Amino acid sequence: MNDLRGVTDLDRLIHEPARLLIVTILASVVSADFLFLQRETGLTKGNLSAHLSKLEEAGYVKIEKTFKGKLPLTVCKLTNSGKKALIQYRQQLQAFIDKTA
Amino acid sequence: MQNNLSDVEQRVKRYWFKDGLGELVAGGMILLIGLYFAGQEWLPGGSMGRTLLQSSLVLLVISGTLATRWLVNALKTRLTYPRTGYVEYEPGPKNTPSRRVFTAGIAISVSALLVMFGRSFGSFNWLPGFTGLLFGAVFIILRARSNGVGRFYILGTFCIILGMALSFSGLPMGYSLGLFYGLTGIVSMLSGAITLLRYLRENPLPAETNNE
Repeated sequence: MNDLRGVTDLDRLIHEPARLLIVTILASVVSADFLFLQRETGLTKGNLSAHLSKLEEAGYVKIEKTFKGKLPLTVCKLTNSGKKALIQYRQQLQAFIDKTA
Repeated sequence: MQNNLSDVEQRVKRYWFKDGLGELVAGGMILLIGLYFAGQEWLPGGSMGRTLLQSSLVLLVISGTLATRWLVNALKTRLTYPRTGYVEYEPGPKNTPSRRVFTAGIAISVSALLVMFGRSFGSFNWLPGFTGLLFGAVFIILRARSNGVGRFYILGTFCIILGMALSFSGLPMGYSLGLFYGLTGIVSMLSGAITLLRYLRENPLPAETNNE
């Protein structure tokens, strides 16, 4: 039972489904812009902004307004903290699944 | 939210091919190579035109390799990123411009060795079939399996069949290679164009072009 309680230590910031999706997408690439994240997650602009703000406050995501040629972009990048947090989250979740399978 | 996370990762990787621009531009490059081989066969031996053409292969391959990536990125900036967003992918472990030029140089050297090999047997009839197998392998193994893009299976199969057919056609080597690269380039461009048109139809420019 003590082993199973480890699930309560899961990072709740990443555990939220929308943020888990955002972080998973960003972990697959170097960076992605707001429009791409919005289309891939299916979230509204406001909802996505709110989730990205939370991830940025935690230091998991870095957001930068830039240009590609003349195209303005809001580019999001997973930080090293964010990558480590995702890896740890996946390991904890996998350990819980293995113990309960 | 019921997305399978590994499906999400695969879908992100496939995004680069969603607009068909890669195969459209690469198809144009392959077509140019086809014109090179056909021109070699068509121009009289010893003529100035043939000499110039022979000396242009290295330039064609190297500049084409560099120009292809630049052109694809420029087209994506113009057409794709404003519609469905921008993604920067992890570069390959050694995917630098100098590495690509080096790889092109290796390809040319291998081609030269193949020519010498063929001359020792007095026939190059096997060359289109061999080229078709190489292209097929690239399309099928590298692209379709690694990124799940189904249409590359079709392109790969087409290359293998075309190469084999041309090997048995009895055409002079220049024309058969010219036909192989030319038709492969055209089919690749068609595949890219159809994909691009479908992409543009399904993804109109957002009403607000600002990113947020």
